[in-house]
Amino acid sequence: MLKLIQNEWMKLWSKKSSWIMAALLVVILFASMGITKWVNSSMMANQEETWQEVATNQQTNAEAMLQDPNLSDPQKEYYEGQAAIAEYRLANEVPAFEYASMQQQVIDAHMMLSLVTLFTVIVAAGIVASEFSQGTIKMLLTRPVKRWKILTSKYITTMIYAILLSILTIAVSALAGLIFFGIGDGTFLVWNGSEVVEGSYWMEALKMAGLSFASVWIIGTFAFMLGTVFRSSSLAIGLSIFLMFTGIQAVYLLANYEIVKYYLFTHTDLTQFYTGFMPVPDITMTMSLIVLAVYFLIFMAVSYWTFSRRDVTA
Amino acid sequence: MTEKPIVQIKNLSKTIGKKNIIKNLSLDLYKGQITGFLGPNGAGKTTTIRMMVGLMRPTEGEVFIDGQSIQSNFEESIQKVGVIVENPEMYKYMTGYKNLLHFSRMHKGISKKRIDEVVQQVGMQNRINEKVSSYSLGMRQRLGLAQALLHDPKFLILDEPTNGLDPAGIREFRMYLQKVARENGVAVFVSSHLLSEIELLCDRIAVIQNGELIDIKNVKELHVSRYYIHAEPNELALEVLSGAGFPVTAHDKGYLIDTESQHIPGAVNMLVSAGAKIYAVQPHRATLEDQFLEMTGGGQIAETHSK
Repeated sequence: MLKLIQNEWMKLWSKKSSWIMAALLVVILFASMGITKWVNSSMMANQEETWQEVATNQQTNAEAMLQDPNLSDPQKEYYEGQAAIAEYRLANEVPAFEYASMQQQVIDAHMMLSLVTLFTVIVAAGIVASEFSQGTIKMLLTRPVKRWKILTSKYITTMIYAILLSILTIAVSALAGLIFFGIGDGTFLVWNGSEVVEGSYWMEALKMAGLSFASVWIIGTFAFMLGTVFRSSSLAIGLSIFLMFTGIQAVYLLANYEIVKYYLFTHTDLTQFYTGFMPVPDITMTMSLIVLAVYFLIFMAVSYWTFSRRDVTA
Repeated sequence: MTEKPIVQIKNLSKTIGKKNIIKNLSLDLYKGQITGFLGPNGAGKTTTIRMMVGLMRPTEGEVFIDGQSIQSNFEESIQKVGVIVENPEMYKYMTGYKNLLHFSRMHKGISKKRIDEVVQQVGMQNRINEKVSSYSLGMRQRLGLAQALLHDPKFLILDEPTNGLDPAGIREFRMYLQKVARENGVAVFVSSHLLSEIELLCDRIAVIQNGELIDIKNVKELHVSRYYIHAEPNELALEVLSGAGFPVTAHDKGYLIDTESQHIPGAVNMLVSAGAKIYAVQPHRATLEDQFLEMTGGGQIAETHSK
């Protein structure tokens, strides 16, 4: 299996497009950071809030939200934490990281993982489909290796590529943050349920990125399935990206129906349990993980079933 | 033949929808022998070959390679097979060497040394580190052969291998295949619709039509000694020749007789002494094409099926 993955890895990086996507990711991250700095510096001139004002606002906002009786448990916990942290900051004179600091950019790096999803979809959709369109599938499947092993090596390779791009995203965000903003003053605080303690911003960044990766993973798997079933990478890429954008919108349309709880895109964003922003409030992390796992198993079953049974006529 | 066949095709059938593409096809292939697989377009050559290498599942029947079934024992049996299906499609964005490296990793125990050896064998050492996209068709065909020979197969299967090759390329390819069959004792199975090519390359031909195997012949048997004689008057010539006991068939302006060369002077003498004027006496070689058309009922080869 290791040799098969090695093969797929070699083929992946022999294609120019894989390098271009990685390079594009770096360029976009740098550019967006540059734009942030530019916008920030032109806004600075007009109004500058002190960190005390920001914290006070946060506290009043969070307390206002907590008055809402419809709040779900994860949301309630989130706002309680926010209020407690803001109170602690004001009481103990502990400022948060400025937005224009390397640390804050690292914490926010997970938001850029949607780019990684896009590139992963392109790779996932093409890794099986391109073998069919180039005709190399005949060469690949007439070897003493069972078909399911070949498919597995392709899937693992796609996921390694996705993980690599995610790590690159965080690393480049840190580097660009350092270049554009430098290391800022401040302390990262977390609410552990009973008290406010100091936390590591790197751990926070990794936790958020890890949660965001669920979306990369499941949408990548979906594209992988489409590429395997339809043997056309353009169709698989198009459909996956279309669904990625419209799928999330559909959550709002379906929000009032029971079915939304079983709908994939209600659960793709796992960071929602830590940001308080939940379109469907009465779901839990456990429930999301189960739904994602079920979808994953279905996508995989369809891919393996079609790939190992198909008559190759290409 | 008492020898054990390397490849046994047993009662192979394939049905797609309601159409029977292959009907109960059985065939044995032997060591060191090159067997041609001939048939009109759409007769089922490619489908048969794809079932033989596990790319398609037969509806019924099985293919055995060296005693092991491709259908139920895929990994063990395919290890002994080298495959070129149509133009060998390689990863164009990689070098020839990386392509070979890629395929070698899918077999057990192929060393770097073995790769170099095969590269030498097909004469590609000078260009193996260039990208496949820069190769000519002939070069790609050689690389295709190299990947098929990497694991030292006992059986080589080729589907339309000379498609798109120029005459020099075809000749080179032919010599190479014959060498491999003879020296390494490999059984070779080649499908083609290029009759002249098959005639030169193969020891034996199997003819398929409408999914059925209609004939298997040794190429040597095909070369019946035959002569064309044109003598006037025609009626007299016919009388003399058939009177002498030669099998006679009308052909062109004269007749064809099936006989060995030593009987020709006698036949000529008889015609002369009977007062016939002789215009031509020449050996007549029926081409495989004539025989093929005869076997398949003629005309079929031109019939176009969508593939």
